[in-house]
Amino acid sequence: MTVIDNIAERLGINNVQTDSSGVQWFDIGHRSVRELATAMKACRARFVTITATELPGNDGLRLDYLWDLNGHLLGFSFHLDTNSIESIFDICEATDWIEREVHEGFAVDFVGRAYEPLLLREGNNLGVNLREEIR
Amino acid sequence: MSYKIPMGPYHPALEEPYKLDMICDGETVSDAKLHIGFNFRGIEHLAETRNYIQVIALMERVCGICSNIHTLTLCQAMEKLTGIEPPLRALYIRVVMAELERLHSHVLWAGIAAKLMGFKTMFMTCFALREKVMDVLQAISGNRVNYSMNRIGGVNRDIEDPLALLSMVEELEREMVHTIIPIFTTSTTATLRCAGIGILTNEKAISCGVVGPTARASGVPQDLRRAAPYAAYSEMEFDVPVEKAGDVRARLLVRALEIMQSCRILRQALTKMPSGEFNTGDGKIVFSTGTATSRVEAPRGEVVYSVSWKENSRNPARVHVRTPTFQNMPAIRWMVIGARLADTPLIQASIDPCYSCTDR
Repeated sequence: MTVIDNIAERLGINNVQTDSSGVQWFDIGHRSVRELATAMKACRARFVTITATELPGNDGLRLDYLWDLNGHLLGFSFHLDTNSIESIFDICEATDWIEREVHEGFAVDFVGRAYEPLLLREGNNLGVNLREEIR
Repeated sequence: MSYKIPMGPYHPALEEPYKLDMICDGETVSDAKLHIGFNFRGIEHLAETRNYIQVIALMERVCGICSNIHTLTLCQAMEKLTGIEPPLRALYIRVVMAELERLHSHVLWAGIAAKLMGFKTMFMTCFALREKVMDVLQAISGNRVNYSMNRIGGVNRDIEDPLALLSMVEELEREMVHTIIPIFTTSTTATLRCAGIGILTNEKAISCGVVGPTARASGVPQDLRRAAPYAAYSEMEFDVPVEKAGDVRARLLVRALEIMQSCRILRQALTKMPSGEFNTGDGKIVFSTGTATSRVEAPRGEVVYSVSWKENSRNPARVHVRTPTFQNMPAIRWMVIGARLADTPLIQASIDPCYSCTDR
């Protein structure tokens, strides 16, 4: 069984697609980001980053969570209609700074954690750097 | 009684501004907080306002040390979005540039570490040697900091006579073997100053997701050149040095051994460089809609670019950059807890931090 099959079975996911850059994208379905983080931690995957992207029109935001397992890059996309998603900082402390950066750059609220300013300073507007509607 | 002692944002031990607020009980650090953002330039936003040629020049300026690595990572992502495959000779030239950059970055770091140890002679020796590495980079690219080597579909300049560079690389290797590496690995000054301080345990290194030499010095055998080869690394033979102690000395040793491995890779790349084209020419570049992710092993560890494009657009829709120092810096907190205040400048420098990269 390959690494990818193993992860897919662990998460109960059938749909896995490989993009042109070799990232294995898992269709996460209804599973929460915390379920994902717990599963990734259990198989000792290394957290890589979260990429936030503002979708065209008023379609909200997409958060791409990337994890590395033995050199394989695993991707999980979450679509945000509202500006919030559960924090996984308590499960995976490597996400601390990137959650804070996405919070400041895109005004996303990672629910369940406290914030301290990272790149911004006290009193600066959230989302001022990367959210089109706020710029 | 506890005291709060700030280091930075402007401090003799810091090459660039950031701030480490330390809580001390006497001379011992009991906790610390890091503050970044003093070099913030809004580069990710600026990237959305640049076309596919301009964005390469912009991203070369994310970092003043590993400028080539940033354009390499970006170009790899853009090549995936355009379906363009660089010729094999270009992949070899990319390896040569990446390893020369690793050499000059590691030697620069060794010089700064020597300065923080109070080892000024070694500082001067390292910087003199770094000049020679930069001479080789200049001989290839015509530049000493921003090399402008990478483009979509290959590189901008050929290495016309790779074997002529071989003698320069061998001279560099000789000097490193005879001066820098023995001093850092065997001298009493370096050993006493670095051993047993700033320890990052293997468990904490994994938990924090640290990358590069910082991870390898804590027993995490992770190197993208081996685990997920790019450019022509799959055709190179090299070892990945790993140390288990997790202290400043382990980080020193890993980088010293990596210098030797870089010389080994350079010799192979220059000797085996295939003939042929070094880029795919100036044909029309067409981007498909989508996101491509690219990773490379920079001198400080894994650099990740996620690049999104909309078809028929000249500008990227989104460029996200995750630099190695961004991932490594939070671990400084765990390295300085329990350390003597006087050791903290060297401990924080031992991850070879790049604050410009971190803030972007």
